[in-house]
Amino acid sequence: MVWLLGFFLAPLLIIFVVSFGSNDATGHITLANPGLQNYVEATKPEFLPAFLNSVRYSLLTTVFSIGIGYPIAYWISRHGGRHKVLLLILVMLPFWTSYLIRTYAWMIILRDNGVANSILQAVGITDEPIPFLNTDFSVILGMTYGFLPFAILPLFVSIDRLDDALVQAGRDLYASGRGVFMHVVLPLTMPGIVAAAILTFIPAMGDYVTPDLLGGAQTSTIAKVVQVLFTSGRDWPYGSALGFMLMVITLAGTFLALRALRQETFG
Amino acid sequence: MTNDDRRPSIDIERELVRVMAERRITRRQLLEAIAAVGATAALAPIVAACSTAGASATPATTPGATPTAAASLAAASATAAPTATPEPTPVPTPEKDLFIYNWDAYIGENTQSQFEKKYGIKVHYEKFPDASTQMTKIRSDGKGGGYDLTYPASTDVAPLARDGVIQPLSLSLIPNIKNLGTDWQNPPYDPGNKNSVPNYWWTTGIAWDPAKVKEDVTSWAALWNEKYTGKLGMLDDQQECFAAAGFRLGIKPNTTDDAELDKCLNMLKQQKPLLRKYTSDDIGDFTSGQLWMTHAWSGDWVQMTYDKPDAKYVIPSEGAIRGNDVMVVLSGAKNPVAAHLWIDFNLDAKVSAANSNYIGYMGPNAAAQQYISKDLLDNPQLNPDKGVYDALTELVTLEGADLDKYTSRWTELTS
Repeated sequence: MVWLLGFFLAPLLIIFVVSFGSNDATGHITLANPGLQNYVEATKPEFLPAFLNSVRYSLLTTVFSIGIGYPIAYWISRHGGRHKVLLLILVMLPFWTSYLIRTYAWMIILRDNGVANSILQAVGITDEPIPFLNTDFSVILGMTYGFLPFAILPLFVSIDRLDDALVQAGRDLYASGRGVFMHVVLPLTMPGIVAAAILTFIPAMGDYVTPDLLGGAQTSTIAKVVQVLFTSGRDWPYGSALGFMLMVITLAGTFLALRALRQETFG
Repeated sequence: MTNDDRRPSIDIERELVRVMAERRITRRQLLEAIAAVGATAALAPIVAACSTAGASATPATTPGATPTAAASLAAASATAAPTATPEPTPVPTPEKDLFIYNWDAYIGENTQSQFEKKYGIKVHYEKFPDASTQMTKIRSDGKGGGYDLTYPASTDVAPLARDGVIQPLSLSLIPNIKNLGTDWQNPPYDPGNKNSVPNYWWTTGIAWDPAKVKEDVTSWAALWNEKYTGKLGMLDDQQECFAAAGFRLGIKPNTTDDAELDKCLNMLKQQKPLLRKYTSDDIGDFTSGQLWMTHAWSGDWVQMTYDKPDAKYVIPSEGAIRGNDVMVVLSGAKNPVAAHLWIDFNLDAKVSAANSNYIGYMGPNAAAQQYISKDLLDNPQLNPDKGVYDALTELVTLEGADLDKYTSRWTELTS
């Protein structure tokens, strides 16, 4: 509780308060004339492309993470046997190396004279290097790679909890493998899928490191805009307002999606 | 050509070592800095409360209240040795440690170890990835973020001094200041070098790979050449980018006129679809083949030639930006004497020349000229003729509404 207050609520509150302030003539934050001017500024239509880009990257990252993560989690749960724990540790293994280092490794693989292009050129598939880096492709690849473990773990928990007897029963009632999966396994593991989606989508919306390192001039994201406002712009109140608004929109969107999903699944 | 980037090479370990050796890894500090700034912001009210409570008991140590640096030095050495005799010492005893906040690979290879050996002071050299991070961190507590000495751009000196983030220098502790060239004894950004000592100067121009760009680049227009779409880079720096667009349009750098800035913005908007990246690692993106031609700092070009010896650089004919950086002592420095010794040491003719020879930036040190390598001195792109030099413009520090004019257009461009 104290932890939550100190490390979550307090910073959030400071950002919230600062977002109503402004910078005085010397660039210091002042709350002398509190108002909504930062929020008005933050809704500029110029930010829309970056925002839509962020949503697109996050949605695709979520879809790919669950699409790739589900079979992995399913396989570990059903066929992992006594190696289950070991396999889960292997899923977590990348966390032992800093995320930044791993992203740099992707840069080495993807850049124009990097590993991927060297192999493609050596086997004669292409003459000129293919520009992988600084594209939508490299950003989505990097983000999916980064968030995949966050999708696998909740999926695993949910699939592992599924009673095998229910699958057996389905088969006894002459359902096909596909039928059992669609009508038994998938609905019962829906909570895991939802948890995986939330754990992937929300941090993906705020991720600026991956788009910054693996992206380029055409792959802007709203998180990067917030970063520019805080650093180059030295305008913390404006940056706070945009960041806060982004958080509210992301949370509201997630809750709406959750409610719609819940009604579809259970009601 | 030894550096054929089409040659298959998949030695990952070698590649990784190379990348780590380049500037790229310093990006890590960006995260650390932001984490640190976040924590500081969160704790600021508590810290403020504590220091107000303590202020009544201890003599005021706010930067504005310090009459001279000498007094603050004396106070510092007195605190360091509470049992010291009351009679004043001419040269204060240096402290055991020195915390420096600087760019990566920004001093000669042996500068730090020589200093440590000479004075018996342990140097803690921490790095920042870009100037924005540096400013955010040293301003986080208003007195230097725990560092003793840092290297800001000359244009930051006046605001930092005004806000009490840096302290006036005790020039009596820096006898080597006499080595500065006459142009630099009384620079416009800091008359009399009261608060800062100049360190390097450089230009911002265009670097290109002649193996890919088979023409002679002389104009800023080259960075708008559609022939190289997807292979062009601009620096991830709003003031530099607007200045570059301005040179193309005949608009003076540092403009704060809305109509002129809008013209620059349109120019940059035309360019954006041609760009691979707004880069904060011009060296890495150039040497690993993503960029064939890029907006670059002259010293970065020198580092590019370590990987691509044929790489070229030009100060475009329309004019270019000249920058210089300085050494400053932060107002919250716990080791001010050591910091002054560091400045003095780096003004030594041989040390200064070793720094320049390593990084490829010219310095303001007249006495060091004789030790600077001939390659550097004879290179018109690094050490331009007086005519070219005089036409260079320095960027000014933008604040408040003027800064917002740039930031709002920059976020619009990069959004």
